Amino acid sequence: MFAQRLVGSLLVGSLFLSCAHAQVKIGVVTSATGPIALVGIPQKNTVPLMPAKAGGEAIQYIALDDGSDPTASVSAFKKLISEEKVDAIIGPSGSPNAMGVIQFAAEAGVPMLAPVGTAAVVLPMTEQKKWVFKTTQNDGLIASALIEHMAKTGIKTVGFIGTGDPYGDNWHKVFSELAAKKNIKVVAAERFQRQDTSLTAQSLKILAANPDAVLIAAPGSSSVMPQTTLFDQGYKGKFYQTHGAALPDFLKLGGKKVEGTILAASLMLVLDQVPDSNISKKVASDYVKAYEKANGSKPATFGANVYDAGLLLEKAIPVALKKGKPGTPAFRSALRDALEQIRELPATQGVYTMSPSDHSGFDERGRELITVANGQWTLVK
Amino acid sequence: MKPANLSPKTLSILCVGLAIALGPIVLPEYQVSQVNNIGIFALVTLGLILLTGVAGMTSFGQAAFVGISAYTTGYLATSEQLPDWLGWAGASPWAALAIGLLLTLAVATLLGGLTLKLSGHYLPLGTIAWGLSLYYLFGTLEFLGGHTGISGIPPLQLFGLTLDQGYELYYLIWALVLVAVIVTLNLLDSREGRAIRALRGGQLMAESMGVNTYRSKLLAFLVAATFAAIAGWLYAYTQRFVAPAPFSLQSGIDYMFMALIGGVGQVWGALLGAASVTFLKQWLQDLLPHLLGKSGNYESIVFGLLIVWLMQKVPGGIWSWLSPKLPDWKIKKPAAPGAESGEKLVRRPQPQAGEVILDVRKVTRRFGGLVANNDLSLSVKAGEILAVIGPNGAGKSTLFNQLSCVDTPTSGEIHFRGVQVNGRNARQIAGQGLSRTFQHVKLLPTMTVLENVAIGAHLRGECGFISAALRLDRKDEAKLLQEARYQLERVGLGNYLHVEAGSLALGQQRILEIARALCADPCLLLLDEPAAGLRHMEKQALADLLRKLRAEGMAVLLVEHDMDFVMGLVDRVFVMEFGQRIAEGLPEEIQKNPAVLEAYLGGAE
Amino acid sequence: MNYQIVMLLGQDGVTNGAIYALLALSILLVFTVTRILLIPQGEFVSFAALCMAAMEGGKPLYIGWLLLALSLAALALEAKERYQANGKLQLKGGDFAFTLYSLAACALLATAPLGTAGKPIQALLTLGLIVPLGPLMYRVFFQAIAAGHSLVLLIVSIAVHVALVGIGLLMFGAEGARIQPFSEGSIQLGGANINSQTLWVVAVSLILIVALYFFFEKTLYGKALRATAVNRLGAELVGISPELAGKASFSLAALIGALSGILIAPITTIYFDSGFVISLKGFVGSIIGGLASYPVAAIGALGIGLAEAFSTFWASSYKEVIVFTLILPFLLWRSLAHGGVEEEE
Repeated sequence: MFAQRLVGSLLVGSLFLSCAHAQVKIGVVTSATGPIALVGIPQKNTVPLMPAKAGGEAIQYIALDDGSDPTASVSAFKKLISEEKVDAIIGPSGSPNAMGVIQFAAEAGVPMLAPVGTAAVVLPMTEQKKWVFKTTQNDGLIASALIEHMAKTGIKTVGFIGTGDPYGDNWHKVFSELAAKKNIKVVAAERFQRQDTSLTAQSLKILAANPDAVLIAAPGSSSVMPQTTLFDQGYKGKFYQTHGAALPDFLKLGGKKVEGTILAASLMLVLDQVPDSNISKKVASDYVKAYEKANGSKPATFGANVYDAGLLLEKAIPVALKKGKPGTPAFRSALRDALEQIRELPATQGVYTMSPSDHSGFDERGRELITVANGQWTLVK
Repeated sequence: MKPANLSPKTLSILCVGLAIALGPIVLPEYQVSQVNNIGIFALVTLGLILLTGVAGMTSFGQAAFVGISAYTTGYLATSEQLPDWLGWAGASPWAALAIGLLLTLAVATLLGGLTLKLSGHYLPLGTIAWGLSLYYLFGTLEFLGGHTGISGIPPLQLFGLTLDQGYELYYLIWALVLVAVIVTLNLLDSREGRAIRALRGGQLMAESMGVNTYRSKLLAFLVAATFAAIAGWLYAYTQRFVAPAPFSLQSGIDYMFMALIGGVGQVWGALLGAASVTFLKQWLQDLLPHLLGKSGNYESIVFGLLIVWLMQKVPGGIWSWLSPKLPDWKIKKPAAPGAESGEKLVRRPQPQAGEVILDVRKVTRRFGGLVANNDLSLSVKAGEILAVIGPNGAGKSTLFNQLSCVDTPTSGEIHFRGVQVNGRNARQIAGQGLSRTFQHVKLLPTMTVLENVAIGAHLRGECGFISAALRLDRKDEAKLLQEARYQLERVGLGNYLHVEAGSLALGQQRILEIARALCADPCLLLLDEPAAGLRHMEKQALADLLRKLRAEGMAVLLVEHDMDFVMGLVDRVFVMEFGQRIAEGLPEEIQKNPAVLEAYLGGAE
Repeated sequence: MNYQIVMLLGQDGVTNGAIYALLALSILLVFTVTRILLIPQGEFVSFAALCMAAMEGGKPLYIGWLLLALSLAALALEAKERYQANGKLQLKGGDFAFTLYSLAACALLATAPLGTAGKPIQALLTLGLIVPLGPLMYRVFFQAIAAGHSLVLLIVSIAVHVALVGIGLLMFGAEGARIQPFSEGSIQLGGANINSQTLWVVAVSLILIVALYFFFEKTLYGKALRATAVNRLGAELVGISPELAGKASFSLAALIGALSGILIAPITTIYFDSGFVISLKGFVGSIIGGLASYPVAAIGALGIGLAEAFSTFWASSYKEVIVFTLILPFLLWRSLAHGGVEEEE
């Protein structure tokens, strides 16, 4: 045993790792570098803001970067599980990365809280996915809000532009299915890469199909270009965006051209317009303030998803502590059960109510319909 | 076999094998999975070492090959609705491996066929392009799960065993790595291997020895693709999940880093490189937040700078820096296999003495307006030595190139043993019994003298890749090496068999080239300035050797500057100036010929 | 597909193609002079775009520090090499030029209100910050191994690219940025709207290409620079050492890259890692040019731009697959045109 530890220490240089006497160990795997760094960086920056104690026990967070590479995510998970003996893992940032690690988390019996978009990590529920909890609104939840708005305003045809990545893939799938139910037709579906220098061709295709509205599904600032390009080419219809666009840069990059855009996202964007009666408001504004203080900028929702994972754990850990000691399988299993039993937990993104069949746990309170008016995010009343 | 007789190769395989066998016993679980990854990376890197390090072809597309096979495996293992004709393949990992391999090899053959004829920088750029193209294809194809990939691949089941634990896969992965290493070592130490090793810096020479360099390139490329395909299969079962990112250009670049850091051209460098890069990344991730703070991400910056630094300090990679420091196993190197006993190679039917071997008829070669050879006719008979002499710029090299089919005459005909050969390539003429040396010595400095000379006998062996990899070629190989050894002893280099060819003196290197040419069992020897750089005694020995060859019925044509050497040796002399023939005849006549004297001494007026 | 769509796609293709052509020329230039495939070419583009966007947004600029770090590294290398050659530390005044320049740049960036400066001043400042990165990069990373094997050069080039992308993420963050257009509005031409920014791109590219042509074909210095690749002695006779040629070609590459970055920043969002993808298409162009011919490379790059635009229209999710597969026929053509066996170096 000693030899194993020694070799292990030498190999990973874990002698350098701090040995604070934390009782509960939580691993965090983010993509702070690589192509999806824009998702991972706010997540990584959120780690120091998360609850430091729960149920009287200190929580130690161990953050690793997977460089956006699924192989590295698996390695990071294995490392956290077998070297650090963590009790739960938050992450990874990317959908493919999350899909790849589920089985290893499940086999080791470690609860995993995935701040990723795709519902495929928790649906359909399987024996392995029992260990996975998802701290973002399912794309379907957001999509149905948009579709309701579309139906209400008499939109019959929609053009879709999405990124050529899991985010765009999943939105295309979810949106097409839900829209069909409301008799809204997707008349054009185009793809682009985040780094594309021009979207002229895609927007021409959309223009040619002449839909009543356009839905743009892209994470981060890449959601701006399709809209400005279409605007420049004289498209006059309505623009819809997903929660991927919910960040300050969207307004800055888009300027006047994104005026009137409709999107559904968490209340974080419009905190001051939300009534105080909303139980998520305080949690969210505390988080935003803390983040701004630490990093000098407002967080993108990706960061809040990780924060929510922290809140969920904070709630579940005291329950699980009654069943076992941290670091034991009994504790981890109890932690999973406790997470599944969380009811009505207000968090930054909405209110979580988990159940054995729903490991995402959001209801309509997890989304707000928001528009851009006078260059500001405005709640649609 | 007594321990003292172990070859360095066997010894190193045993050492590494032992170290590997102990792995899971001493390593913690997480490190086992890391070492598994290293094994998979090493397999890909090994292919690159062969392709880039040994054969000199740079490829950034290996990751895409890994992807083809990994996706095939993932698809076959997870699809519930396979087409009927594929249904049988769904359940068996072996079938997945076979189909993955076939698919990878098919794509590799296509891409290799397109790009391998290109030289220098086209290949890396070309591989970057198709590497990207395949990566985006993986992400776009719906049935491969799009950008989200294929998940839920069941654990690998072989012979009724379920391999789902790190240490179980460990033995499978490393057994395959070791097999690949052995196959590569065997390959390099064979007839095909020498041809591949000649690709880097000796292609012209190899072609002149009858090596089909394009075929050798393709072979190296396909072997590398095979290793990548096996790695992809292992990857799919280790990760049990496949998404496009690990097969991106980024990974292709990482594999190249591994190959170069480990030691380009060194088989063991693959393991070293894969391990160093993996652990380096891990160390950086563990250490940098403590050194530089947790707010930024410095891993890729420091990683990039470290590689720059490493390449500036040890461009040959860690292995090249490490190996001189290791205990020298070379002392125990056994004598060449089958040194004395083996059968001899079959010689081609020798021409009758006096038969016209080479007949050059009115050959003219123009380069634009310049006439380098004008209407030249000459012939060489079996058992005769003809010298072509002339001042610098007389067109001797141009003539020489046409005779060896490196260049084609503008008009006129060249007949070799009664067959017109102008327009054929160097490889074809080599096969017919013409063998040559080079004015600027062309040998492979890091290969041994014996191996260099054995390349000359390339066409006299027939064992291909499979028999080389499985060591079924030993009899054939022994014959080739014995022939090489015989020719080396014949030219007086018998004491230098196992030294690196690059360490020989220039004169000895010229002699080596003659031995190599003789290894091809030629009936015509073309020698380009064989006496240049030789000392007096060496020239005498060379002249004796040529006389002996002449007595055996060999036809020899040599281009030479050294008049003393020529006049005492050759039967006839052919004198050129400004691309024209100015005289031809016996040495004594030529020495008195006024035109020749004018050409050589006239410049002094 | 009607006439107007063809016009619009054509315009789009030409705009991107013009940038690719510039980069292809730059890649070719560096390659022929130094045998280095300049993979970090794209970083000049993205750094310049992000740098100018940061200025415009009044954000803090850290690129001065990168400049300073590189110039100090160059100074240290210079001192070390002198010491090894002469046994004593000898540094002339000129050796400090870059360091002083970087210090001045850092001071300027820290104090001056750049956000309010006019667009031309911002553009000039951006060039002033990016272009020195070129020669410094050559000095620090490549000069010592300039005579090495081309594979080593290639790997170092890629490693520098990897490090620079990491630095870019650190300096500019993960989010994209774009800058205000130089001019608003558009003109009507043949029934299609031509964006005025497109005209800027095409005009500046054309001017640069013509200027490069004159420099390399008509001036002694340019000819000598171009000749360095084949004839080092000849170049040294007119006073161009290999070091100078390397630095000069890297400076030109940085200039071309930075200009390209400033040109496209108003029409597209640029990310810290955008440069590589953009320059890759320049590489494809230079391959089509056989890594030798400037005009063919430029035309090839333009063709890539057009192919990209039209294939996106045809099947946007397969765009990258199509564009990068397009290179294969060219490789086939090259390999068929290619005769016997060629000796590698």
